Order: sequence, then structure tokens, then C-alpha cells
Amino acid sequence: MSRGNARAARRARQRRRRERRLQRRSGGSQALRALTTSALALPGLAERAAAAGAPVDYRADYRYARYSEDAISRSKVAVGGETERYEIDIHQFRLEAPIGQSFDLGLEVAHETMSGATPWYVTPDPNGGDDPIQVMTEATIDEARTDVLLSGNHYRDESVLNAGLGFSIENDYMAYNGSLGGERSFNEQNTTVSGGIGFSYDLIEPEDTNLFPERPDREDKQSYSLFAGVAQVLGRNTQVQTSLTYQHQRGFLSDPYKRAFVENSPIPDDRPDTRNQFAWLTQLRRHFRKIDGTLHVDYQFFFDDWEMRSHTIELAWYQTLFDRFRLVPSFRYYSQSQADFYAPFYVTARSDGHAASDYRLSPFGAISGGIKAETRFQTWSLLWDVNVSYQRYVSDADYALESVDVENPGLVSYDLISAGLTLHF
Amino acid sequence: MQRRIQKLRLALVALALWLASASLASTAPAIELGQPAPAFSAPAVDGSQISLTDYRGKVVFLDFWASWCGPCAQSLPALDGLRGEFPDSEFQVLAVNVDRKREAARTFLRRRPVGYPSALDPSGEIPVRFGVQTMPTSFLIDRDGVVRHVHRGFRPSDVPELRRKIQALLAAGR
Amino acid sequence: MRALRPTLMVCLLLSLGLGGCSVVRPWEREALARSDMAWEPDPLEASLDSHIRFSKEASLSGGTAGGGGCGCN
Repeated sequence: MSRGNARAARRARQRRRRERRLQRRSGGSQALRALTTSALALPGLAERAAAAGAPVDYRADYRYARYSEDAISRSKVAVGGETERYEIDIHQFRLEAPIGQSFDLGLEVAHETMSGATPWYVTPDPNGGDDPIQVMTEATIDEARTDVLLSGNHYRDESVLNAGLGFSIENDYMAYNGSLGGERSFNEQNTTVSGGIGFSYDLIEPEDTNLFPERPDREDKQSYSLFAGVAQVLGRNTQVQTSLTYQHQRGFLSDPYKRAFVENSPIPDDRPDTRNQFAWLTQLRRHFRKIDGTLHVDYQFFFDDWEMRSHTIELAWYQTLFDRFRLVPSFRYYSQSQADFYAPFYVTARSDGHAASDYRLSPFGAISGGIKAETRFQTWSLLWDVNVSYQRYVSDADYALESVDVENPGLVSYDLISAGLTLHF
Repeated sequence: MQRRIQKLRLALVALALWLASASLASTAPAIELGQPAPAFSAPAVDGSQISLTDYRGKVVFLDFWASWCGPCAQSLPALDGLRGEFPDSEFQVLAVNVDRKREAARTFLRRRPVGYPSALDPSGEIPVRFGVQTMPTSFLIDRDGVVRHVHRGFRPSDVPELRRKIQALLAAGR
Repeated sequence: MRALRPTLMVCLLLSLGLGGCSVVRPWEREALARSDMAWEPDPLEASLDSHIRFSKEASLSGGTAGGGGCGCN
């Protein structure tokens, strides 16, 4: 085989297996997802709302979404580098069924296929400019991920118990998680207290370790999470809830597919092997009868022991029209500070050996806006909900609450288009 | 980090206090078994007047429902079925609808009609008198107008138990 | 940040008062039972959004508690 062909073949091999960090749900977050999906009050239609108690209907949901990141601008990328970023096709499926007198079971499956290039490491501008440059990986052709979550609820007089089990699988990655939780109501169901615990185990076996011997062959991590919340009805049209979530992670928390530029050479991404995170989320739902609209306001404050802090505020307005259509504009503002060991690149190595130039650990703000339209209709004894939505997300160091000295060149913006179908039967 | 832990502690204390105050708040006094059912009189969907006392001498199944309540929607046809199992002269099913808009109840019943009358109570006076604590709630009232059974919530699998209780009340007395 | 403390105290005291005072009766929950009043009206959308956030940002997604809504059964 000629040298040119060998190189092409190697690049093709590299292209086939790539970074999937962005696809990887942390086990902890998936465990929480188990908590939230099973602790939910079942939504129904305005016309025939399902109960907050044991559901009486079967419900099936399907949703397709296409996620596409903006290409990274040429000025931010190393010369000759890939500028096209990630594109993902997501299929989601969910089924909920009442079982016997006081149980229900839920199954949620997500399958994604993705392709594209992702950030690899950041270097100073070789032309001597102020702004650092992003070195991208080569584009992948086809990656896939499957996520399964099984959850169940047990309804008692004034309380509900829930449990969840899930797993996630990709070419180089596997995770499983479990959760247990409960909620109890007081005060004629005006006050509800919820709590739960979650656990997850993630195993990664990075690919291309023969090409990149710095990559570990096999690493794992565990996450433990605790959740407590209280929901309060404030009036006929208002309810509010606030909750605290704590997550402890230990193990391999670095990204095996990323590098950091330290003292003029790229070295493997190195992060601490423990992390403690706290999130305080408050949500308000307020209905306005006269205009048939409902306001959602969500605010979250987050902090961890990597010195990161973030604020999130989400607003959505649900406008019902003619009793069967709904239009939902939404807005989100997000701002995070950086991890203490983060830097775009390192002139001298840190004494603790940590190094990470991942934009996810950098300081930035993000603004996103979306619009969703849905309608419901009935055929025989089946109730259908159909929806389409579009969301645009833009991140930028200038949007952050605190001033940022150096923006990470890898910050991402994306479009998300989706369509969904729900069936009650 | 220290300050944040302090704030967390503060938040937890507030949560605990909130809980305490919530559980102390008064709830509706529930009707006790063996007490006479509160009398009421309200217009039905068809315009006629429904008074509970008119049904003395029959076993009455009184069901509180609303169009926005999922389990309530399930209970209506189930109760209609139960009604058909017993003679009209002995057993009566009555419903009280608590929708804020009477039209919502009318629309619901137009789509899913039942063979028993529904009294409309948009102001919610009647459920107060009966001490309704959850939706739906139904009351089994004997021939002398005394509450014998309170059934909270509804699931299709509740029907056999309800049937047994109705049969027991029909057998007792007369 | 220090100015936040008195505000926090006021909020906490308010919520204390609100907790015990107004009680919405079971038959008054029509608006609360609406699907657009749910904490997560679209579970799949919430699932996907949470997943994307986790991938693009460093924060944990807080969990949602139960409660509110219809309060039926």
C-alpha cells in the first residue's frame, strides 16, 4: 500500500471513531432523569387532565429532533482544520402504562446518530494574535448512542414511591444507573415534599489507543446523588416548587479524547478525581384565566468544588388558542464561571498537574430562544397531541455575568428542530 | 464554599419550617361514617332541581366529579354500569359536578352521557358540606340518609368492592 | 452577595406564611390540573433539553419534585 493510501486509510479509521463526550450523559444526570420522570405529575390535556395520582390512561410519545451546531469560524480554528461541527439525529420514544390498582410503569428509549468534528485542544494563536486558536478533531462519519430508562411509581394514600433503572450504550462507553425516591403530600395536597437518591456507574474504553497511546485503555467513574424538594400550591392558579440536588462524583472525570496545551505541547486532559456539585432549582407556574395563558419561570443556582458557579433563568409562555392550539415562546439565559484549573492553554504546568481547555469548563454565557406549536385532536377514543418546535442557542463569553478575559474559541451555538407526537389511549 | 454551605443550611431550615406550618394548616372536616348526609338542593344539567332528601328510602351513591379530573372521567361510565345492575326503585346514583363553568360539565356529558343526574355546583358549596378531601370522592348513603362509606379516588378496579358495599346496604333494612 | 441575606430572610418568612395560610380545596384545582401548569408538560422535550445542557454546559440539572397539579386519586 502506498504511503498516501496508508495515510488515507488511517484517517478513515480515525474518522470512524470519534469523540462522543457531548453525547455522553453523565450517569448522575441520567439517574436524576429517572427521578424526575417518575416523580412527575402526569400531564394531560387541558380538557381532560390526568391526575397527579395514579394515571388512568396509557400514553405513548414519539419525538424526532435534529441538532446542528454552527460551523466554527475559520478565524478561530487551526489552519487546515475541520470547521463543520456536530450534527445529531435524535429519536425518542416513551411509553407509560397503569398497572393494577396502584402502580404504573414507564419506559423511555432514546437513540441518536451523530457525526462531525469536536474541539480537541486550544493553542495560542501561531500568528501572535491575542485570541487562542481551537484545534479540532477530524470529522466522524457515524456514531450512535442508545439510552434506556425504566421507571415505576407506586401510589399510596398520601404518598408516591418511585424507582428507576437505566443504561446507556455507545461504541466506547457504557453506563448504568438507578434511583429511588418518594413524595408525600400534606395539607389537602397543597404541599408536597419529595426526596430521592441516585447512583450511576460509567465505564469508558476509549478508542484508538493504538494511535493515541496517551489514552487510558479503560476507566470508570461513580456518581451518587441526593435530591430534596418541596412543592406548594399558592392559589387556584399558582404553584411553586424549590429543590436541592447534590451530586458526588469520583473516578476518572477527565476527557480521554481531549488535550490541553501545556508548556508548548499538548498533553492529555487532566481533571481532579472527585467533584461535588449542588443545584438549587426554583420553579413557578402561574395561570392567567382571562387570557388562557400560563407563565413558567425557572431559576437555578449551581455551584461545585471546582469553583464553578452558574445561574440559569428560563421563561416560557403557554398560550392556548381556541381551546385546541397552543403556542409556546420560550427564552433562556445561562451564565457560568470557569473551573479553577481551567485555562485555554498553560504557559507553565500547574503544580497539581491538572489541565483542561474544554470550553465546557470555561466562563461564558448563553442565550437561547425557542418557539413551539402544538395542537390536540381526537379520533374515536384516541387523543392525539402533535407538536413542532424550533430553538436557537448562542453562547459567547460576552454574555457571561462576570467579565471574561479570554473567550474559549470552542464555544458552540446550535439550532434544534423537533417534531413530536403523543397518544393517549 | 463556607458561605454557600451556610446558605444551604438556611434553605434547609426554611424548608423544615415551611413543612411544619403546612402540616398545621386546617383541612376540611371530613364527614364521619354514621353521620347523616348533609342535605343539598341544586339544579341539574337538564334544569330540574335535585334534592338529596328526595331519595330517602333508596340507597344513594353520591359522586363528586369534575371535567378536568382524569379519574373522574373514568368513574362516570363505571358508575353508570353499576347503576344498571340494581333496580331503580332501590338504588340511585347521583353526581355533583364542581366545574367552575357549567358549560364544561354540559359539554362533557354531551360527549359521554350517563343515565343518572348530575347536579351542578360551580360555587363548590356542596363539597364543603361533605368535607371532600380529594377528587373524585363518593359517598354511599343508606335508605335513612346516613353516610355509610366514603370512597376517595377512583380506579376501575374499585368497582367490585363498591358493588359489594351497595349489595350489603340494599340487603340491610326493609 | 451580602445584601442578599436580608432578602433571603424576607423570602423565607413570606414562604412560611404562604405555606400555612391559603389552602386550595380539591374541587378548586381546575387550573392547576391543566397540562400547561405541569412542571414538565413535555417529558421528552425536558429529557432532551437536559441532556443537551449537560453536554454543552458544566452545570447539574436540578431535579423536579412532584406535587401541585390535579391532586386527584
